[in-house]
Amino acid sequence: MPRPLRVIAASFALLLVTACNSASSGGSTPSSVRGVTADTIKVGGIVSMTTASGYSKKDTDLGARARYDRANAEGGINGRKIEYLGAEDDGQDPARNLAAARKLVQQDKVFAVSPMSSVTFAGAGFLDAQKVPTVGWGTLPSFCGPAHLYGFNGCLVPTPGGTLNQTWPEGLAAVLGGSRGKSVALIAGDNDAGKFGIRTFTQGFKAAGFQVPYAKAVVPATSMPSDWSAYTKEILRSGPGGGAPDAVVSVMQTPYNIGLFTALKRSGYKGVISDPTDYDPGLLAKDATKQALDGVHVLLQFQPFESDSPAMRQFKADIKKAPGGTEVPLNMHMLTGYMSADLFLSVAAKAGEDLTVESFQKAASGFSDTGTLVGDRALPKGQQESFGCGALVRLKNGRYEVAVPFRCYPPIPFG
Amino acid sequence: MGDLLGFVLSGLVSGALYALLATGLVLSYSASGLFNFAHGATAYLCALAFYELHSGFGWPAVPTALLLVLVVAPGLGWGLDRLMFRKLARVGETAQIVATIGLLVALPAAGLWVVELLERAGAPVLPAENQFGLPGVGPSPAVSWQPLDGVGIDSDQLITWIATALAAAGLWVLMRHTRLGLRLRAAVDNRALTELRGISADRLSSTAWMLSSGLAGLAGVLATPLLGLSAHDYTLFLFVSATAAVLGRFASVPVAFMGGLGLGVLQNLVAGYASFADGVTGFRTAVPFLILFAGLVVLAQRRRAAGTAAADPPPVDYLAGKRWGRRWGAWMGAGALLGAAFYTVTTPFWSGILTQGLAIGLVFMSFTVVTGLGAMVSLAQATFVTGAALVAGLLMSHGWPFVAAAAVGTAAAALLGAVVALPALRLGGRSLALATLALAFLADQVLFQLGWLRNGDTGWEIPRPVAGPVDLGDDRAMGLALVLLSGALVALLTWLRGSRWGRAMLAVRSAPDAAAASGVSVVRTKLLLFTVSAGLAGFGGVLYASYNTRITATDFTAMTGLVWLAVVVAAGVRRPQFAVVAGLVFAVVPQLMATYVTESAHLPVILFGLAGLALANDPDGYCAALPSRRAARRAARRGASDPSATGAAAPAGDGPSEPLLARTAEPSVVGAAGVAPGTGDGPGETPSASALELIGVHAGYGGAPVLHGVDLVVRGGEVLVLLGPNGAGKSTLCRVAAGLLRPAGGLVRVRGGDATRDTAVTRARRGVRLAPEGRGIFAGLSIEENLTLQLPGAEDRDAVYARFPALAARRSVAAGSLSGGEQQLLALAPLLQRPPTVLVADEPSLGLAPLVVDEVFRLLTELRDHGTALVLVEEKAAEVLGIADTVAYLAQGEIAWSGPRSEVDRDRLAEAYLGTGVRR
Repeated sequence: MPRPLRVIAASFALLLVTACNSASSGGSTPSSVRGVTADTIKVGGIVSMTTASGYSKKDTDLGARARYDRANAEGGINGRKIEYLGAEDDGQDPARNLAAARKLVQQDKVFAVSPMSSVTFAGAGFLDAQKVPTVGWGTLPSFCGPAHLYGFNGCLVPTPGGTLNQTWPEGLAAVLGGSRGKSVALIAGDNDAGKFGIRTFTQGFKAAGFQVPYAKAVVPATSMPSDWSAYTKEILRSGPGGGAPDAVVSVMQTPYNIGLFTALKRSGYKGVISDPTDYDPGLLAKDATKQALDGVHVLLQFQPFESDSPAMRQFKADIKKAPGGTEVPLNMHMLTGYMSADLFLSVAAKAGEDLTVESFQKAASGFSDTGTLVGDRALPKGQQESFGCGALVRLKNGRYEVAVPFRCYPPIPFG
Repeated sequence: MGDLLGFVLSGLVSGALYALLATGLVLSYSASGLFNFAHGATAYLCALAFYELHSGFGWPAVPTALLLVLVVAPGLGWGLDRLMFRKLARVGETAQIVATIGLLVALPAAGLWVVELLERAGAPVLPAENQFGLPGVGPSPAVSWQPLDGVGIDSDQLITWIATALAAAGLWVLMRHTRLGLRLRAAVDNRALTELRGISADRLSSTAWMLSSGLAGLAGVLATPLLGLSAHDYTLFLFVSATAAVLGRFASVPVAFMGGLGLGVLQNLVAGYASFADGVTGFRTAVPFLILFAGLVVLAQRRRAAGTAAADPPPVDYLAGKRWGRRWGAWMGAGALLGAAFYTVTTPFWSGILTQGLAIGLVFMSFTVVTGLGAMVSLAQATFVTGAALVAGLLMSHGWPFVAAAAVGTAAAALLGAVVALPALRLGGRSLALATLALAFLADQVLFQLGWLRNGDTGWEIPRPVAGPVDLGDDRAMGLALVLLSGALVALLTWLRGSRWGRAMLAVRSAPDAAAASGVSVVRTKLLLFTVSAGLAGFGGVLYASYNTRITATDFTAMTGLVWLAVVVAAGVRRPQFAVVAGLVFAVVPQLMATYVTESAHLPVILFGLAGLALANDPDGYCAALPSRRAARRAARRGASDPSATGAAAPAGDGPSEPLLARTAEPSVVGAAGVAPGTGDGPGETPSASALELIGVHAGYGGAPVLHGVDLVVRGGEVLVLLGPNGAGKSTLCRVAAGLLRPAGGLVRVRGGDATRDTAVTRARRGVRLAPEGRGIFAGLSIEENLTLQLPGAEDRDAVYARFPALAARRSVAAGSLSGGEQQLLALAPLLQRPPTVLVADEPSLGLAPLVVDEVFRLLTELRDHGTALVLVEEKAAEVLGIADTVAYLAQGEIAWSGPRSEVDRDRLAEAYLGTGVRR
């Protein structure tokens, strides 16, 4: 054995012995009141703000701040003010996501993390192991199962053996005047996620009574096609009798949808077009997007900004105050942050004056309320499935209008 | 049929963008030998600028676009060329690749940072995130037409076609019908020869970079409506268009351009007709990268001598000969301190960060093997990490213990590495880098999309290992274990480098042919190296994943691998412990920056990218920068004998001091020249004055001296024949005379003026021409173009054609297709028309038929009669002595004898060749 190896092997043996002595005591059992003092609760957030893809969720932070500001203005939770540290930027990078979670817990010693909204959640395992209540956008599987992680509108990733949320098929059935004899074409990106989306929605639409003659995950997922005719041609011939289907449903991101929908319309397609991502009033600011998305039915899993419920009025008022009086256009990331904060506050309020992780968890199991911006909330059900509520809005003449009002639908078994 | 036409037409849209980017890639590559990974980032910057200026500031679209494409983007290219590309052209390929990867992330971040600053300053900028459906140059939303049934086009597409066609036409005119274009093509054909002709390749390189950036800018502005503001998408777009550049072999602009167009069409056709592949998730996504990979492999097989990478000898070890304690003491100390720190000073947060750094350091060590030892750039290391971790996670989900799962995962990564390496090994340098990148994307898009392997977005849990009483679930225990593991791996890798196998690898990278000749299998050695590196990356990957306690298929993408490479190479790949430093820096610095320096997320990225600038100066990385500079200084001091002393004295030395320098040569040389030392008082333009004079010249390559004080004088209208055996230093002398090699000591004078510190270009402009060994012509240019380069005037060329009817008859034929004799005539013909002051001809008769040799010598005599001073360097004396006035023998880097031809006899010749000459 060469000399350096010998030295290292020796120290390996020596140090591991000392390591195991301390390892047992080293496991940092978090103090039961980490981040909670007599009059404050420390909360942090993780949001992807800067990214190389040009996609940002940074307004999530603003939404959460707006909700916490109101809570503090109303006197806090059981007498404790929320000390919101603002959101860490994870840049859509798993390593930074985990580092952000560690920083919030170990450095800043927060009681909870809310909001957590990103495309990656590498910090999930750490946060759960450290018993950090975390609320965020449940688009990732990590929000489905772990005891301390909660999706603000439930867990949005169906698991086989679990249930499937029927908001979209039922909503479209309402738009088309029933599902009987109606056909739907489903299209998604050519990757595993797209394939999974096709699988779930095919089952959902069929269960709702639709025919699904075209369901393919075929669009190149990393380089957007400059030309969509290859896809539109096949879709437009897929309906009954070689004609066009009654509805085209895209499970893709906004830039893809713009291309696809423009191509569909240019080919003379007159049916219903729908997608789940393009509810962003910012899109109305540009003529190209306004035209591409005109007439499109967009699925949302929260109350549309256009609805006039007391909760929505409150939301708008809170958002207006947060940035210091300046008018900011609403978007769904604000609502994500706002409702993540709201779920945390609601459970924390229920946990009572003696706020600990245990009391929070106890309050969460069996928590339920109704009539919120995301419908009827119930835990721990929400750690297994979506709250199952949604609406369809339609973009018409440069404005979104509610096509199918917000309501909750019973889920179906997914397998 | 309508379908097909539609697919082809609209495929030409992305094809046009590919063509623009590929053309730019080829231009910049041929100008400075650099594959610019940041080319897409330049396009993104222009798109961003266009969006902010047009939509934010409200500037009109077309003038803004013109400003960006014609002024801003070329300006950026010029600046980058001056700041970094020019320097990078002189360092190793790895540093080049890494520096542009740094730019790839730094340029977009810089753009976004500027937007952030402008926003704070109250400028009317718009947010750059979540922007879709951006207006381009044309109307927004685009107007569409349907000229044929089933064939639709819109205004954005039309604008893209027209702009691309205009750019292509403009490029064609520029390259084919202007003097600048001719020079650019000459530089592409043979950069060194261009410089010998007195044309500054550096300036041409600037021009090429400006053109290249302008084209990227054009692509960026045109792609704005299509790609929006995603730097990531622009970079992907660039990688796809690299395929077209590969088709054009990084040399042919027209082929690259057509390749780009074809690529767009092909991609569209596959999208339209690849229903056979519906069952393979990710196939359509992967199409461009399949084409890229296939193109690289196929083209490499067609190329002659493509068997191995180019020779790339390792840098000098600055610690060579140092004792064990000196080599390792500091590192052992640092390791012990780090290990101790976990249990004493570091907070849980910093323990975690340091542990993370150590884990990623293990992965980084794989770069030390493949890039540091093997001189191959692999951009697929992240693939091995993901592969190994996914396999290990899959097995652990079936109840396998950690150690067994990690072992199988490592083996899987090694296997994957072998599979990646097999087709890629015949490639070298940037082709290998691109091939591994293509494979990394293929793995991301096809292999890691397999449901049973990736387990959806959930991935697999990889719990920290627990062995008996040792529970690595605690960050500190994990950190300590990783310190020890890193130490063991560093020792292992260091031992490996010094082992028989490591020496075989060093032999393969330094001289593949020689290694093969001495029984070392080049392919097997490289394959083994790649496999070991992949296995190491996989092993590190399993541990890194266990630090995270979970692996998902998207944790480490191909782009992650790019950034990793940049981080490791910036630190240095010479010694494995540098990889540990790189890992720690990678984990710790962003946290430190965020805590103590800046809130902006962009600034750290910019700084990281600018590490490329540092690489241009210290290609060995920052870890080795200080010690290796110190070692170089020490070596310089040690070797500070007469050569450098002479060098220092030489510029100051003037006429009177020179006799001192005439040490080694026979007095007859200087004596014969007589006038040489006395030219200090006048311009020395008189015909009898020396035309070229070397005084006490010492020269060599990288510490290996070749010339030990050579004195030579040749006057106008005189032929000096330099004879000498193989290895005497004749070609080195030619290089010194031509300014290609700067002497370490001594003086070079042209027409009496000091020209010692000239570059090849300035030397050529003083009238010194080198006809290099082989033929001094541009093989890829036609006869007419070869002549035009040196004889811009048509009447001069006509005179040449009148003199050489053989050339006149084939003026549009590529010079490379001429016979050897004709090529030599073509090289000499323009000189006859415009005689230079000095012509240094390296083996002008090499490989020519005797009749042709006579013709060549007749032309050289004619040149002498025009007053040109000739230095003819030959190995064989027989024919050339016939035209010599003076003869000098060079042996072992010194002039063994020199004198008039009349004094040359058989014995002298023999003595000179045998090295027993009249040395004092």
